[in-house]
Amino acid sequence: MAAKLRAPGLLRAGVLTLVGIAFAAILDLTVRAATNAEPLVNGEAITLVALLAAPFFFLGGLGAFDEWLYWASGKPSRPEDHSGHGATSWKDYFRVNTDHKVIGVQYVVTSFFFMLVGGLLAMLVRAELAAPGAQFVDPNTYNGLFSVHASLMIFLFIIPVFAGMANYVLPLMIGAPDMAFPRLNALSFWMLPIAGVMMTLSFFAPGGSFATGWTAYAPLSTEVPMGQMFFTIGVQFAGASSIATALNFLVTIITMRAPGMSFWRMPLLVWANFATSLLVVIATPFVAASQLFVLLDYALGFNFFNVERGGDVLMYQHVFWFYSHPAVYIMMLPGFGIISEVLAVKSRKPIFGYRMMAFSLLAIVLLGFTVWAHHMFVSGMQPWIRVPMMITTAIIAVPTGIKIFSWLATIWRGVLHLDTPMLWSLGFITMFVLGGISGVMLAIIPIDIHVSDTYFVVAHIHYVLYGGSVFTIFAGIYYWFPKMTGRMFDERLGKVHFWMTFVSFNLTFAPMHLIGVQGMPRRVADYTEQFAGWNMFISLASFLLGLSTLVFVYNVVASWRGGTRAEANPWRAMTLEWQVSSPPPIFNFDAVPTVVGGPYEYGVPGAVHGVFRPAGQPDPHAKEPAGASARADAAGATHHGGTET
Amino acid sequence: MGSEQVKTSRESRIELFKMLGIGAVASVIGIIAGLAIDWFPIQASEEAKQIDSLWDLLLGVSVPVFVLVQAIVLYCVWKFRVRPGEEDKDGPPIHGDTKIEMIWTAIPAIILLVLCVYAYLVLEDIEGAKADTMDVRVVGEQFTWTFYYPGEDGKEIASKELYLPVNRSISFDVQTKDVLHDFWVPAFRMKIDAVPGTTQHVRATPTREGTYPVVCAELCGLGHAVMRQNARVVSGAAFETWLKEQPGKTNPGATAGNQGSAGQPAGLSGKELFTSVQPTCSSCHTLADAGSNSSTGPNLDDALEGKSEEYIRQGILEPDQQIAAGFSAGIMPPNYDETLKPEEVDALVKYLAKVTK
Amino acid sequence: MEAAAVPIGHGHGHAHGHDAPGHDHHGHEHHGPPPANKSSRVDAPMLGMLLFIISEVMVFGAFFTAYFFIRIVQGQEWPAEGDHLPKLIAGINTLILVSSSFTLHWAEVSIKENNRRGLQAGIASTFLLGATFLFIQINEYVNIGFAPQDHAQGTIFYGLTGLHGAHVLIGLLALLTVTIRAFRGHFSAHDHRGIEIPGIYWHFVDVMWIVVYLTVYII
Ligand code: HEA
Ligand code: HEA
Ligand code: HEC
Ligand code: CUA
Ligand SMILES: [Cu+2]
Repeated sequence: MAAKLRAPGLLRAGVLTLVGIAFAAILDLTVRAATNAEPLVNGEAITLVALLAAPFFFLGGLGAFDEWLYWASGKPSRPEDHSGHGATSWKDYFRVNTDHKVIGVQYVVTSFFFMLVGGLLAMLVRAELAAPGAQFVDPNTYNGLFSVHASLMIFLFIIPVFAGMANYVLPLMIGAPDMAFPRLNALSFWMLPIAGVMMTLSFFAPGGSFATGWTAYAPLSTEVPMGQMFFTIGVQFAGASSIATALNFLVTIITMRAPGMSFWRMPLLVWANFATSLLVVIATPFVAASQLFVLLDYALGFNFFNVERGGDVLMYQHVFWFYSHPAVYIMMLPGFGIISEVLAVKSRKPIFGYRMMAFSLLAIVLLGFTVWAHHMFVSGMQPWIRVPMMITTAIIAVPTGIKIFSWLATIWRGVLHLDTPMLWSLGFITMFVLGGISGVMLAIIPIDIHVSDTYFVVAHIHYVLYGGSVFTIFAGIYYWFPKMTGRMFDERLGKVHFWMTFVSFNLTFAPMHLIGVQGMPRRVADYTEQFAGWNMFISLASFLLGLSTLVFVYNVVASWRGGTRAEANPWRAMTLEWQVSSPPPIFNFDAVPTVVGGPYEYGVPGAVHGVFRPAGQPDPHAKEPAGASARADAAGATHHGGTET
Repeated sequence: MGSEQVKTSRESRIELFKMLGIGAVASVIGIIAGLAIDWFPIQASEEAKQIDSLWDLLLGVSVPVFVLVQAIVLYCVWKFRVRPGEEDKDGPPIHGDTKIEMIWTAIPAIILLVLCVYAYLVLEDIEGAKADTMDVRVVGEQFTWTFYYPGEDGKEIASKELYLPVNRSISFDVQTKDVLHDFWVPAFRMKIDAVPGTTQHVRATPTREGTYPVVCAELCGLGHAVMRQNARVVSGAAFETWLKEQPGKTNPGATAGNQGSAGQPAGLSGKELFTSVQPTCSSCHTLADAGSNSSTGPNLDDALEGKSEEYIRQGILEPDQQIAAGFSAGIMPPNYDETLKPEEVDALVKYLAKVTK
Repeated sequence: MEAAAVPIGHGHGHAHGHDAPGHDHHGHEHHGPPPANKSSRVDAPMLGMLLFIISEVMVFGAFFTAYFFIRIVQGQEWPAEGDHLPKLIAGINTLILVSSSFTLHWAEVSIKENNRRGLQAGIASTFLLGATFLFIQINEYVNIGFAPQDHAQGTIFYGLTGLHGAHVLIGLLALLTVTIRAFRGHFSAHDHRGIEIPGIYWHFVDVMWIVVYLTVYII
């Protein structure tokens, strides 16, 4: 028992979490006793300190810091012996694992778990909205429902699931054996469940969960009950996780590409994650700071947003949107990458205008930092900022349009394999264009003055985030499912999932455009009789949408356990991840491949992307899976630069 | 490869034109359908006219863009999907075409810039100063609006209902006592946040008599959904008469009970008051007799069961004195003592005591 | 955390004295990964630290945005009426912090020449100078006469200097680690990345202070 307690793992983590809470209580009591604060025992203050401190104890217990503490204490360093790599049983997914493939799966499964929770909350939202008046929740709970719904979907689903998929395939795609900082990678993952559990548990906080929307506008967010802090602090962990992952991706992409993999030979998924990671590293600190301001105002009585003492309320919105507008591209660009992969393979054609595809990603990154105030057209900020922001916002449609049109040109005259990943990709193009167009309408200031803060915006949100991001996520999950699990999914169920979702999605969210323009504000538990008919319709459709998700869950679980074995390269794709076995060998490659051509040379006779022979002897026929070959590790025995600094 | 490419690009062109034809027809149908939808609430202001026609223009631009993309996707699915026997075939290795790429960069850019210029002109127009403007001060608080009119000798006249003369430009000075709110009259299409510590401005020129909702469009807490009041647009003469009837507001405490529930015809029954004073009690409370089922505040059927009239009176006039279990202070408007006449309070108290016995 | 670089490259392993070759043979079923190709001249941990510093700069950027809104947009008096900022003491404190950058540089130069005494003296004095800075800063808080709760100016003052103070604290922890290791005989002329990387961070903390000092105290 004692030995088990000392070893890193969930048990030690659980015990240390309790220690952390006790530590918070003692710390708080000491400080309060020292400052003669009344009353001595303040549950809220203790909870607050515990929210900040206990996660670190948890991570420490899990073993996320072991190696670093070891290093810091000046002991001779322990080189990475790769014993943390790979997973042989499900238990290996519940420890600090440094294998990017294991971490990728951990990420994807965790974020889908929170997607289901967030979706369940959306179902409750729709149940409440099915008819005017109160159905079964009070307004405070209602506000909590959509706030937690949106926060989970954004911070615990879309952002991390993209990071997870990229974690799995990106190192493979660029011919790297792992990410640049595997331990940091593991830490990034483990901060996620902390944030997710914190946000979900907020419902049990005194006074209910945080209820100020995912935007948490001050000063409301500094004046509400304790539950708000579960968001404020949860976001810190989710944000730290994304920054660490982004940094890891950037370093991996810059320093660990295979020989011959120049920037202009990288698959577009890699480009997309490169662009996204730039956004994350630069923008995410702003959301961390905005919530830090709220925390200081709330807990210590600072005056960032207290106008009586000279604070500035609009400053919150500027800082928040300076992150959260780029964040919407953080939630879209990796999806663009996925679509490029799927469309090229499934239409058997090279991506049309590859370089422009990469440049338009960078253009979106740059423009993305210049448009934040389009969320503030009616916020009462300085009026002159609006028109410049309207123009930059409209211009952002141009690089996005380049991508849409290039994809259309890619499928034009191809040989289209209309299987599940392809259906999701084509569905994405159609739905995202609709969402993008409603975005352009919102950018037109006079229209936004009317429809801001109405269901028209809610419709926009879901067309771009569900029809956009989530459709690309499904495309990607189906596309890489054979690679990640070694099994094929059930194609028939995949198609059922697609068509059910496609139809019920439109039935749910299309009418929201109309009721929004007609005058239904968002974030209300109750509305006038006028909107009753449409809301009932929307709610019914949304339940169908919820059901369609269960088809997906069933398909994934059943296929993972009992699907037919997948070959190394079922899609006849050229990118490197498909050239190794499914799932890939524990260290990805026996020897790093050499890249000799572009990633999408479909239809070009004899074209090859990477060769699996020592550099210098390119062999055009070397397309057999490398993981399956050369297990005798002729090359593997002589090197190993397992370095520890 | 040379000759083959010539052939394919000609074929390609024919296909493209065929599809553009289909697209054009579909766009026209789409635009007509889009315009046929009854998008907006009643158009009751000068600004609404301009915004509505800007909307129609946007539909005219957006629908073809959307239809074009759909048409290409559907055409490709129909024409280029894999046929039996083609499973191992690859498409032609086309890597790009600078000319086409320039076209599809330039055209959207031009369309968007034109839209922005037009939007800018509309914006200047709807926000520009107009002659003969009347100022109305709008003050938001959790969860109600109060409207102040300039009266004689600098006194302000307060009202819970927004009375406006038709065809006169109004400039609203929007303020808040606590958190963010947003003053929105959907029929006018105009809205602006009420920001603590500042005064925001928004204009509208009502053009149609009638009663329209005033909606709070910024999440402001528990009662956000029920922060709804009425705007009554009346003829200029009727407005003047109404304004004259309003007592001036010098000091809210001193005149308490005299003013406020402005616009309420006197002599309403308790039940009618329950659903008509602004904001309505029924928007927050469940009361079987009045047929309301909201849960922002306590269910009065249960909470007031067997309670004394004094208790009920205090609950209305000083709601924060005693907080009902499970609810927090600061939600129920604290100013009913100002906005209701003493008779009205009496009527309400009697009524509530009776129906909750 | 950037120190977590695991396999970064082949040539690299030899730069580290402690990285004994051969540690990674564990029998046959478990061999290590192939060495990654090194596709850039930049060192991975160094690049990681630079990116981390970019995001740190953005955190400060957000706090400066708050400063900008309170002082410029709102046009509040600075410092608030009746308050007084100890420019001189803070100036001296600035010199203390800046000089710690030089002692750190001295430590780095020393170890490159295999001068362990120089390393130890340099790194220890850097640590002490940093700690002195923090001590004077806390002392300033105690005596300055206004609190963050008093007004927005106080909030911004404590916000910016406090954020910076937190970074000094983190930097000191990193320096403490390096100091311990320096006295335990780690690092050599070939292996000093473990000093350089925390070193960059410390220089960043110094430069940031100069910006904070200029904006908060001087202009
Ligand atoms: C994935 C997420 C995502 C994406 C990609 C976008 C993309 C865009 N968004 Fe959206 N947006 C959100 C998520 C997203 N948004 C969310 C979550 C909110 C609400 C936040 C909240 O308040 O809670 C929001 C709110 C929001 C607002 C504020 C509304 C308000 O609160 O009043 C605005 C206003 O300008 C806007 C605009 C745009 C624009 C112009 C784009 C553009 O990038 C779209 C560009 C794409 C296209 C236009 C389609 C393809 C292009 C062509 C086919 C070329 C030709 C096109 C034309 C000529 C029109 N968005
Ligand atoms: C990626 C982001 C994302 C996604 C996927 C969704 C998905 C959905 N959203 Fe959400 N939504 C947002 C992001 C998202 N939303 C944002 C950002 C807001 C703004 C919030 C704000 O104002 O602050 C919002 C707000 C919002 C509102 C407006 C609330 C209001 O303003 O008052 C509504 C109302 O209908 C809604 C509905 C839905 C529905 C029906 C779904 C459906 O697609 C959900 C489908 C259902 C499932 C996926 C669950 C299926 C599973 C089960 C039923 C079983 C579960 C079982 C277990 C957990 C064991 N959303
Ligand atoms: C915006 C929401 C809102 C409106 C409008 C509102 N109330 Fe309330 N009311 C509340 C809340 C919340 C409470 C509980 C907190 C408290 O006791 O102050 C409450 C409490 C009460 C109580 C005391 C109940 C008890 O058990 O102590 C009475 C009586 C009452 N309201 C009557 C009214 C009447 C009559 C009106 C209309 C003239 C009205 N309320 C309008 C929200 C509202
Ligand atoms: Cu006031 Cu919402
Ligand atoms: Cu945006």
